[in-house]
Amino acid sequence: MTLIQAQDPASTPEDPETVAANEDVLATPSSRRPERWLRFVIPVVMLLLLLGVWQVYVTMANVPQYILPSPLRIAQALGTDWGILGSALLVTLKITLSALILALIGGVVLAVLMAQSRWIELALYPYAVILQVTPVVAIAPLILIYAPSTQVALLFCAWIVAFFPVLSNTTQGLKSTDHNLLNLFEMYRASRWQTLRYLQMPNALPYFLAGLRIAGGLALIAAVVAEFAAGSAGAGSGLAFRLLEAQFRLNIPRLFAALFLLSMTGVVIFLGTSLISHLLLRKWHESSIRREN
Amino acid sequence: MVALVRPRMDAAAAATRDQTPNGGNPGIRVRDLTLRFGAQTVFENLSFEISGGEFVALLGSSGVGKSSLLKIIAGLADATAGSVIGTDGLPIPGRIAYMGQQDLLYPWLTVMQNVTLGARLRREPVDRPWAEHLLERVGLSTRQKALPAALSGGMRQRAAIARTLYERQPIVLMDEPFSALDAITRAMVQDLAAELLADRTVLLITHDPLEACRLGHHLMVLSGHPARLGEPFTVPGQPPRAPDDPAVLTSQGHLLRLLVEASR
Repeated sequence: MTLIQAQDPASTPEDPETVAANEDVLATPSSRRPERWLRFVIPVVMLLLLLGVWQVYVTMANVPQYILPSPLRIAQALGTDWGILGSALLVTLKITLSALILALIGGVVLAVLMAQSRWIELALYPYAVILQVTPVVAIAPLILIYAPSTQVALLFCAWIVAFFPVLSNTTQGLKSTDHNLLNLFEMYRASRWQTLRYLQMPNALPYFLAGLRIAGGLALIAAVVAEFAAGSAGAGSGLAFRLLEAQFRLNIPRLFAALFLLSMTGVVIFLGTSLISHLLLRKWHESSIRREN
Repeated sequence: MVALVRPRMDAAAAATRDQTPNGGNPGIRVRDLTLRFGAQTVFENLSFEISGGEFVALLGSSGVGKSSLLKIIAGLADATAGSVIGTDGLPIPGRIAYMGQQDLLYPWLTVMQNVTLGARLRREPVDRPWAEHLLERVGLSTRQKALPAALSGGMRQRAAIARTLYERQPIVLMDEPFSALDAITRAMVQDLAAELLADRTVLLITHDPLEACRLGHHLMVLSGHPARLGEPFTVPGQPPRAPDDPAVLTSQGHLLRLLVEASR
């Protein structure tokens, strides 16, 4: 809730705004409870229903497992092949997260540089765009030639894809600071650094976080695509390679298990970045504040 | 600038300001100010003077150049020609507090942090008693830790007044600061502003004739293309004048007629 004074003992009950706020606080949870309960139950029921239909269909129609394995068979593969899949998951996670972190650092640093000077922006922005619009699958072979190891190549591919949304969103956020607020800072004779630190950066935060959510998903996609392109093999390979390998061997249950792990990774990244975004913005930004009407 | 900052006092003493009505606060002297954008002349050879401690309301229709004039006086924009200087001969930038159309509160800072923002930017220690005193004056002492999103429009504008006053600047520039408020809140906030700004040199831009007639020692009307200043105009009595004061009502009607005629 945004109405902090409801708990404030100093606020007088006669204050009409406080009274209205108290009523609002009391009215909200009870009227929303059934809805919140359903929001959790409906997706779960739907999921169980789908899995049930799938399981029943595969069993009744006797579909061979190399065409379509049943959910139970996939769960079994996940258990028996965990040694292979688990370490592959770790590799993919490592590449995705390091690419994401590097993308955040690179994107923010470049955005700050570009917001400081129109010249730097003119000089650098075209290259950022070129890197972004060239398909990463097409750049991967080149990167593989120059990179010292496959891991570095994969990391670099994922970074190229993930950093652009961070850069472009943060630049937009830094530049879209309210001119009246900038004027006020100028009248306060704030230094360039203070304007950046206390005005432009907080203002860019919602934009940056939107970029983060996009970049999180893209980093995973790029890590997988790059591994497909690189065709790495052996002990250090990630989920993408294990997925291809399972396909070659017609080990379709394992393919599904690898796929399941990949999409769960994506979902966790999305939830994580959304949570970070919510925690940072919940108090003041329009996107997180509940509308009063 | 240092010479103009009043010596630090405790909050109670600060309430009864120790300065004489014109308190040594400098006024604003504008000489032959011209502003052109390409071939378009916004205003030409504008000259006027606001003496120290005076509250002047500047009226004009939208787009006539009021805000540009205020930005030039504040030092945020450059005029094509002419000069703006304090009546004491010193430059004005650095001695102004500003209140805008929107409350311009920073959404991620609490009310208290917003009020004391200037001190934090100047790396001064925050004068907490002074800030608390001001928040009490504007009726927000229980809401110091609230974020702007949790306040009503009137409360936000009152917080903005507290921030303007926290600066202890001799000159206050206001650009339609109350235009977004409802009529009742506006009247209350106007009274508060008039009381708290009593000895400052104030230039208030507004397009509300009633506001101008209630608050201004003197009124000026900016109109035409390129814009010219009409004869300065005084409403009898001391501001803030009552909204049903016959002199206010007469002047308000007269002003509105002037403004409508000028925009035809």
